[in-house]
Amino acid sequence: MFALAWRNVLRNLRRSLITVAAVALGLTSLVFLWGFNDGVHNTMMRNLQEVIVGSLQIHRQGYFRHPRLVDTLPEPERVTGQLHQLGVERLSYRLRTFALAAGADTSEGLVLLGMHPAMEQRVTRLAGKVDQGRFLRDNQEAACVLGKTTARNLGLRLGDEVVILTEDRFGSLAAEKLRLVGIISSGEMGIDRGLAMVPLGFMQRMLGMEGAVSEIAVQLTRERLEPVTVALRTSLDAGYEVLRWYDMYPMMKQWVELENAFYYIFLSIVLLIVAAGIMNTVLMSMLERIHEFGVMMALGCSRRYLAGMVLTESMLLGMTGVVLGTSAGLLLVHYFHAAGIDLSGQMASVARFYVNPVVHTEINTDHLLHTVLSVLLASAAAAIWPAVRAARLEPVEAIHHV
Amino acid sequence: MALIRADGLSKGYRSGDSLVRALDGVSLDVPQGAFVVLAGRSGSGKTTLLNMLGGLDRPDSGSLVVAGHDVLRMSRDERAAFRLHHLGFVFQAYNLIRVLTARENVAYVLQLRGMEKRQRLALADRWLAEVGLQGFEHRRPDQMSGGQQQRVAVARALAASPDLVLADEPTANLDSHTGANLIALMRHLNEQQGITFVTASHDPSVIAAARTLVTMQDGKIVDLREG
Ligand SMILES: Nc1ncnc2c1ncn2[C@@H]1O[C@H](COP(=O)(O)OP(=O)(O)OP(=O)(O)O)[C@@H](O)[C@H]1O
Ligand SMILES: [Mg+2]
Repeated sequence: MFALAWRNVLRNLRRSLITVAAVALGLTSLVFLWGFNDGVHNTMMRNLQEVIVGSLQIHRQGYFRHPRLVDTLPEPERVTGQLHQLGVERLSYRLRTFALAAGADTSEGLVLLGMHPAMEQRVTRLAGKVDQGRFLRDNQEAACVLGKTTARNLGLRLGDEVVILTEDRFGSLAAEKLRLVGIISSGEMGIDRGLAMVPLGFMQRMLGMEGAVSEIAVQLTRERLEPVTVALRTSLDAGYEVLRWYDMYPMMKQWVELENAFYYIFLSIVLLIVAAGIMNTVLMSMLERIHEFGVMMALGCSRRYLAGMVLTESMLLGMTGVVLGTSAGLLLVHYFHAAGIDLSGQMASVARFYVNPVVHTEINTDHLLHTVLSVLLASAAAAIWPAVRAARLEPVEAIHHV
Repeated sequence: MALIRADGLSKGYRSGDSLVRALDGVSLDVPQGAFVVLAGRSGSGKTTLLNMLGGLDRPDSGSLVVAGHDVLRMSRDERAAFRLHHLGFVFQAYNLIRVLTARENVAYVLQLRGMEKRQRLALADRWLAEVGLQGFEHRRPDQMSGGQQQRVAVARALAASPDLVLADEPTANLDSHTGANLIALMRHLNEQQGITFVTASHDPSVIAAARTLVTMQDGKIVDLREG
């Protein structure tokens, strides 16, 4: 039956080719659009994670909603042990509180973030964003890195002294004089303004909190995020909270999901067009062969056999289109993954929202799979009506049909 | 024992307000090895009777046993399987599957019956030779004349060694010389291999070849002559 179905498809070669080309073209554009979409989204999400948030953070239970200096992790070493067991190496200790920073003549409230300089560089790209000077280097030095807006507001220049005022763990005033060693320009408001980064060891000593950690930031690949989260949540007790980046900052994920939903709507429209095209071809070719179907019935072909043949013909059209279209689409995605699509002319306004002006296409496996499967499904669905009609033919009438 | 035992087969078609009695109480016994020709004017019910015998159509009343099988008790799919294993058909024209070569057309029914590929191709070639089409194995239907196509249809009907071959006007689309050749071939196969044929035709050369001539009129058998 398979060979016969193939020949029937080849019988009207021009019509079949047009159908296959339409399917292929639809699929090529779908795959490429997914490639663009996923490229933009994945970059956005990666940027968000790599700039400062990390893929997931571990805190004391309830810390994220009500951050208090004293609510530090019960046993940071235990968490690190678990992470190492899971094969996770990219993690960083941080201590966080609010502080007042004073420059030459003004002061400003900001978040004081203690980071372990070496660990931090394995998790985020903050060090690479330093515009003037350098990133934190020694865990104990009295140094600080500020965002460029904060530095400007405070009237500070590289090498100047900054006075940091905050409360220690007992609520007593703590003040230190630090040297401004680096100025960061990240393009992100929350970093360029309102944040002071200091070495973790220095901050612990300043607040009388040796060994204290309020968050562990972890960097993971997309595939590892969910399994590691589940593993940590089961192995750590209720004293901890394990939050993925989008548990903390859900906006971007929601935005991405909204856009994906839009693409799925677009996909179903393309599917309808593809299905209609295939159905038209298969139905036409079936109607042309009514006499032949009658003869085949007389020879002893069952109704199920004939319906199966029609279905196979439809699937052959669909599959050929899918193979060609997917290959072409993936080639495009592959090419522009390396080459990139430069949209810096068009995108100046959105460049801030973690979007890179040069889009490197990539396609998520689930999106590719959904697209390919639904086109195959559409070509099967397109065959239902012609197949039912073939099965319903009355042999006598079909034979006398000319 | 009779290969076909038809008793009181009736079939009416409603056309508008009137009822056309395409078959009106036809009873007919066909013994194994017969060569029956159904003759009669156009509209006398030949095709209708042939379709009944082949289980392609169902009568309104009557009984029918073919090769020991009660055809009227079968479901559609059972009748399809019955045709596959017991019957061969030759129609007026366009009997062949257009995308298959002569050899593949003959081998097709053997494939449906589950015969292994090498065996069925060899058998197909043998039958093509038998109907005088050696060298035409790889021709597709549109590369053969009408007579050659009908011969392929005969070879296909016979290759699966059926109990009965039913032919409806097999010569109608052929010139008289080619038609006579085809019917001579069928008659030859009937005598040589003892295969039973029931052929509907008003072609004189077919009627002349009959061993049993059944004449129909208005859905009834009006004459039955052994030749
Ligand atoms: N599907 C149908 N609907 C209505 N009437 C039909 C149908 N099939 C056959 N008939 C009628 O039944 C009668 C017998 O037709 P049938 O085809 O058996 O005749 P026939 O002897 O084969 O004629 P011909 O020599 O022209 O082929 C005719 O009057 C025909 O009009
Ligand atoms: Mg007729």
